[in-house]
Amino acid sequence: MVSVGRIVQEESLRQFKEMGTDILTIEKEFGGGGPPGSGAAKSALRLDTVLAIPSRCPGIAAVAPSVRGNGDISFNGKKLERSSPMGVTASFLDINKLTMEEGRFLSDLDEQSRYCVIGSQVAAELQKQGAARLLGSKIRLGDNLFTVIGVTNEVPQGGMRRFEPNEMIYLHITTGLRVFANAEIQSITARVSNGTTNNAARDQVMAYVASLGKGQAVRITSPEEIIAQMEKQMQMFTLLLGAIGSISLIVGGVGVMNVMLVSVTERRREIGIRRALGAKRGDIRGQFLIESVILSLIGGLLGIIFGIGASWLIAHFAKWQFALSFSAILLGVGVSNAVGIFFGYYPARQASLLDPIVALKSD
Amino acid sequence: MLTLRDIRKSYRIGPTEVEVLKGVSLEIKQGELVSIMGQSGCGKSTLMNIIGLLDRPTSGSFMLDGAEVSYTNDDALSEIRNQRIGFVFQQYFLLSRLTALENVALPLVYRGDKSTNSHERCMELLKRVGMDDRAHHRPAELSGGQQQRVAIARALVGNPSLILADEPTGALDTQVGGEIMELFKTLNAEEGITVVIITHDPGIARQCKRVAVMKDGVIVP
Ligand SMILES: Nc1ncnc2c1ncn2[C@@H]1O[C@H](COP(=O)(O)OP(=O)(O)OP(=O)(O)O)[C@@H](O)[C@H]1O
Ligand SMILES: [Mg+2]
Repeated sequence: MVSVGRIVQEESLRQFKEMGTDILTIEKEFGGGGPPGSGAAKSALRLDTVLAIPSRCPGIAAVAPSVRGNGDISFNGKKLERSSPMGVTASFLDINKLTMEEGRFLSDLDEQSRYCVIGSQVAAELQKQGAARLLGSKIRLGDNLFTVIGVTNEVPQGGMRRFEPNEMIYLHITTGLRVFANAEIQSITARVSNGTTNNAARDQVMAYVASLGKGQAVRITSPEEIIAQMEKQMQMFTLLLGAIGSISLIVGGVGVMNVMLVSVTERRREIGIRRALGAKRGDIRGQFLIESVILSLIGGLLGIIFGIGASWLIAHFAKWQFALSFSAILLGVGVSNAVGIFFGYYPARQASLLDPIVALKSD
Repeated sequence: MLTLRDIRKSYRIGPTEVEVLKGVSLEIKQGELVSIMGQSGCGKSTLMNIIGLLDRPTSGSFMLDGAEVSYTNDDALSEIRNQRIGFVFQQYFLLSRLTALENVALPLVYRGDKSTNSHERCMELLKRVGMDDRAHHRPAELSGGQQQRVAIARALVGNPSLILADEPTGALDTQVGGEIMELFKTLNAEEGITVVIITHDPGIARQCKRVAVMKDGVIVP
């Protein structure tokens, strides 16, 4: 149980580190929950104001605004499933820690162009549809045809990005703003300059956006917040698993107690013999306690082996990175020990309190 | 070595109280070889268990080596059993999961000191009772007489001054019983160990220097 919780935790941390801790996500604040269309018209972030952020806010090193589009995407007349278009700038590649597998990424010179860069999943899809060469293939997006100029490397599933990099079709943001219906900049990824804290950078951006007036407002999320939120979820998760674990522990402990009680009754004669030969009450109690601990430890070891196997399977199918938690194993051994002592104490005490002569006469 | 004065033992079964020992007085001196005889159910084993500190009398005084033991606490009684008394039972009472050697060594396990040459001592005692070639056999692989020999070795391992044997030959044929009896006699003669044997066999009793007869919960003079 704990092992699975641990894997989930490691996993989120890994995804997190992959993106870096110096990335802020700036999103447009939609205010009082009105329909996005109506609110957006008034307070849409303009591209030039967004691109001015690094020069106006010294705490921000670079920004990568993006605009999401929708609509049918097709290749050779066949619809491409699981793909979606997004308008981005040249800085997008670096900030999102993406790398090119083939060709080049969009540059600032591609403004208003009909070029696109595709994710690895889309590339695979194109090849399945019979594209001989990826670069130069033409993808239809609504009424427009786009020429593929690059393919990004595959990115592991999950992660902190707010989009699925492998399923993206990247256009230049200027093209996107023009061809997408209701296009507006919803999300900006910003990299904080070296030596500036996330909070300071965030305050600068807030101040800048406020200075624009016109009811402009953004919501800025820092990695710390996301991690805090995730940790809270993690805690709930671990707590839940822990509760289930505790119940099984009690059930197991009662089982151990039962086995030991039976063992004590079956071995009364032995207890009597040992007492006659000079065993003190404490010796008998110790003997049965040790046996109970050994029993629990065997159970605990089986449990640990099973647990490692199960968490490996879960990690395997959830495509998480498998992490062996040594503290969980230690905990398992410790807890088995404790269960053995706790639930073995009563039977061991019963054994030690047996009258020597009564024990000896029984069979 | 031991002095019993007016020892009484009664069992309460439901509402009725049954008195099994009705005032036993007995003195056994160091180095004696005593047999106790009497009808079945007259209380011999009950008396023996009291002498062996496995059971406590309801009333009366019991002095062992000059010290009153009626009120001694449980741990101290265990220690006395371990250090000074060797038990031999009719049903041998060896632990079936242990080898002969391990059975013999058992009393030493409960001694505070882990003496270094306990293995040699156990082997020596097995040799003494003629069982050294069976040291690594388990009780189930031994005959009754052989098991009783191992049990005697176990009784001797702690260097006791008193050996209590409750019908030690009861489950053995006359010949093997005689051999066991010879062993007790040698121990008594050569090492001065006090031996108390409960028996129904007059042949056994005859070999003892002293025979105490019990009847109905008292020793008949
Ligand atoms: N725990 C007990 N509760 C009640 N009565 C008991 C108990 N132990 C022994 N008795 C009774 O005490 C009496 C004496 O028993 P004991 O075992 O001392 O006899 P014994 O002389 O050794 O007989 P045997 O020669 O058959 O071994 C018997 O009547 C028996 O029923
Ligand atoms: Mg008897």
